Amino acid sequence: MRTVLVASMRHHTRRYVAASVAVAIGVAFIVVVGMLTGATRSGLTADVGAPVRGADHVVSTSTTEEVDRLVEAAADSGVPALTLGYAMEPVTRDGVQLAATVDVAEASLDPRLQWQQLEDGRFPAAAGEALADVNRAKSNDVRLGDVVRVGTGDAAVDVEVVGMVDSPAAMGASLYVPWHDLRRLEDTLWVHAVAWGGSAAEARTAAPDATVEPAADWVAARQAEISRGVDVIAIMALLFVAIALFVGVLVITNTFSILFAQRMRDFALLRCVGVTRRQLRRAIRLEALALGLVAAGVGVVLGALAGAGLVALVRRWFTDMGPAAVDPVWTGSAFAVGTLVTLGAAWLPTRTATRVLPLAALRPDTGVDVRSAAGRWRLGLAALCLSGGTALLALAVAGSSLPAMLAGGVVSFVGVLLVGPVLVPWLIRLADRLPASGPVRRLATGNAVRNPRRTATTAASLLVGVTLTTAILTGLASSRTAIDRDMDESYPLDASITAVDAPLEASLVGRVAGTAGVTDARGLDGTVATVGRVDLPLLGVGGDTGVVRGPADLAPADGIVRLPYAVVEELPTRLGDRVWEDAEITVVVAGRERTLRVETGSGWGRAGLVSPATLAALDPEPRPMAVWARAGDGTDAEDLSGDLAALAGAAGAELGGGFANRTWVDLQVDILTGAVVGLMAVAIVIALVGIANTLGLSVLERARENALLRAMGLTRRQLRRAMAVEGLLLSSVATVLGTAVGLVFAWVGVQVMVAGVVDGAGFTVPVWQLAVVAAVAGLAGLAACVVPARRAARVTPAAGLALD
Amino acid sequence: MTTTLDTGTGTPTGTATAASARGLTRTYGDGDSTVHALRGVDLDLPAGRFTAIMGPSGSGKSTLMHCLAGLDAATSGTVTVAGRDLAGLDDTALTLFRREHIGFVFQAFNLLPMLTAGQNILLPLELAGRAVDRDRYDQVVAVLGLADRLGHLPSQLSGGQQQRVAIARALVTQPDIVFADEPTGNLDSEASAEVLGHLRRSVRELGMTVVMVTHELDAAAYADDVVVIHDGAVTAHLTDPGQDQLVAALRGRVA
Repeated sequence: MRTVLVASMRHHTRRYVAASVAVAIGVAFIVVVGMLTGATRSGLTADVGAPVRGADHVVSTSTTEEVDRLVEAAADSGVPALTLGYAMEPVTRDGVQLAATVDVAEASLDPRLQWQQLEDGRFPAAAGEALADVNRAKSNDVRLGDVVRVGTGDAAVDVEVVGMVDSPAAMGASLYVPWHDLRRLEDTLWVHAVAWGGSAAEARTAAPDATVEPAADWVAARQAEISRGVDVIAIMALLFVAIALFVGVLVITNTFSILFAQRMRDFALLRCVGVTRRQLRRAIRLEALALGLVAAGVGVVLGALAGAGLVALVRRWFTDMGPAAVDPVWTGSAFAVGTLVTLGAAWLPTRTATRVLPLAALRPDTGVDVRSAAGRWRLGLAALCLSGGTALLALAVAGSSLPAMLAGGVVSFVGVLLVGPVLVPWLIRLADRLPASGPVRRLATGNAVRNPRRTATTAASLLVGVTLTTAILTGLASSRTAIDRDMDESYPLDASITAVDAPLEASLVGRVAGTAGVTDARGLDGTVATVGRVDLPLLGVGGDTGVVRGPADLAPADGIVRLPYAVVEELPTRLGDRVWEDAEITVVVAGRERTLRVETGSGWGRAGLVSPATLAALDPEPRPMAVWARAGDGTDAEDLSGDLAALAGAAGAELGGGFANRTWVDLQVDILTGAVVGLMAVAIVIALVGIANTLGLSVLERARENALLRAMGLTRRQLRRAMAVEGLLLSSVATVLGTAVGLVFAWVGVQVMVAGVVDGAGFTVPVWQLAVVAAVAGLAGLAACVVPARRAARVTPAAGLALD
Repeated sequence: MTTTLDTGTGTPTGTATAASARGLTRTYGDGDSTVHALRGVDLDLPAGRFTAIMGPSGSGKSTLMHCLAGLDAATSGTVTVAGRDLAGLDDTALTLFRREHIGFVFQAFNLLPMLTAGQNILLPLELAGRAVDRDRYDQVVAVLGLADRLGHLPSQLSGGQQQRVAIARALVTQPDIVFADEPTGNLDSEASAEVLGHLRRSVRELGMTVVMVTHELDAAAYADDVVVIHDGAVTAHLTDPGQDQLVAALRGRVA
């Protein structure tokens, strides 16, 4: 039996290429995911312990009072102590904003706790001196000796950068200032722990409610936390691996089915000469095992190479990535999964193949069996899955239930796959009804539908990828619409420059409008009003300003003042309660008093909004108090806010607006879309290997037939075209079906996941994106037949006829 | 009755030539493993007659047919079919030439399994983009007795019926010459007789030229002329031979 096994392996090697490619891609995918997440994890956890290296204990606390007490106690008793936490503040230099939010942490004045790696300059020796992260400084063009202002208003501190340091991703900050300066940024300061150089008892005395633990334990807990975060990403990526492997299983099962059908006579002959069914089965399974081992091995090697390359590439931009390393357990699992998937995929076809009767070898060869249609049980099961899945999906929409949606999606998709052998040929025949049919297309259609199950499995592999890509793209597009609407409400203005207490120069509008990236700017007149004890600019907003995003134009009706939430919070308690309960407030302008109804909101800076008529009643001569601007799509948010901050700083006004947040959210959705499409691409590539494989194997099978056609006058070109049309029919039917099913899934997904969170979430179909997916899938189907078609056309009729 | 032995080029007087070969050589492989399938064959096949090419397996009769039909390229020598030298034609030109001038009947795998008998018969016309001559189609179908089988798939037809469909397909384009490669190789004697009878009728009644490769004496007996080939060379070209004459010719190459 071994002779037979080895001989048949050698004889059929080339036919196994596509199946092994599918397995190898899947395995390589797993290995790459493992290496990328591994490198990320090692990079992020590497120096978590650095800040507490000089301390024996870490005191975890959440209240500012305890932190203050600990710091004081440390100063009194000479114990080294370093707060762990940061403040998020804007940083400006010479009135020009360098960044809207910068993470600022403590720089210790105690050499024992100066844990950062000094690249240039020196550590701070007193308050007013700061360390800057060397990478962040480079991107903002900050140099040694620069004086930067951290924070705004009264709390702002000016510090001189005296040192450049390198600090790890997980624990590092962009700027380090001594505690004395950091403490002043209390609005945004959040300290979660203190590295404590003294004894645990001393710490407990100072902060009785805090948790004191040895530094090593604290570091281990932080590392575990980060690791879990990375694991979540790994699991998400493995979801796509599972999809790719499922497609791989379809491809491999199909390959084995076709190969075994072609070798049916060989098997029967072996049975004739005395091979038992069990021996035959074992021989075939050994063949599958050998294929699995080789393909998984190739996959591991390819994956390791690709992983190392990717990690090296990513490290060039993202320096916190660790070095590439192959994790033996992970890689071993990938190898095992690849092998098992191959064996599993060969299981069913093997059973069918070994059921062949010895007599089959003696019967005249009737060619390929064209009657592998769908069985009745299969159709029954398909109907059950489709109806059950639809019911579950309906239930999911009605109850906004995520589990019901996932279950319904999987069950109904299985139904679609089961009904494939009937549905796919039917669709292909339907496509044949299109006008301009010729003999070549008739031939292609006939070939495409002659083996319904094979055709359906081939189409199914592509169907999986197209369906999921369509569903995800549509779901993301719909979410984006919902997010956009939400953003319009939260951030109606891209940028606002609002005067603090003195009017602005009239020419400021022109300068804002002239700033790169600003498409439209409006100046607003107003006055300074007193509300309670708070001085506040009051702006007159009337009609369409042309710069406000979203349906609401921010213009209040007469007798109404719109106040930012933040201003209401500042009011004395008595007045604040009046606002919340009666929605009323008294506004005073130059002695004139007026009680107005209040609407609260946010997104237009620190100012109250009234109608022009109301403003005129309060102040007959309003003066320029604010400029609102609208930014063009694709404008760099950092550049824009830097330019406008310079204008605002010079005018002594405040800069606000949501453009940075908007672009940041847009970027997140873009990144998510890109990542999903990239990950799904692997499954689609495997499916295309499958299409090429099915066509390639069919070419071998139809060698005589093609020779006959060529003898009767089919030109090489016509034969190639027939193959191309066959591939195109397969891929376009899978694409059309996949797009349709994907849109249904997306609609359900939007109803379940988005509609529950955002009111009136619409269903947005990203027509262009879907068109690109369809075109890529369809054309790739065409590309998949290039090799098989060339091979088929190369055979001379005489050579083809001589084959048996 | 004329008998021409070992001349190779005997042409019955008064008939045109449908196909001819001059110095036709075909070798496969090179060096030590060279196989000489044909060694300088000179042959003229008369039009309007049913010629059988006979010889044992490995004698080169199938190769001769493939070369004459433009399915395989000669190593040297010339082949002329319907007055056209095939030597200068590239693959596409050759295919188009076959489409217009040559019909084929093969031993097995003759029909496309996914097309009905009727579709199979019309396939060559479709490939060539030629209009269907209804009269011709009906005539051919009638001669081959297929009128009630046209809607059937090949798998629903008997072996003899399948070969009759193949013959109908070869005839419907009105080719200058029809090549049949062991058309009865897979059939029992009754079906063989039926198929051979139809081939002969198509020559008599439709005026076709048919060249049949066979190794069966019974099959050759249906032919008008018999070409005997042995070891890559024509050893006899008999016109209207009798049974004993045929046997003698075949024996002669053994002796």
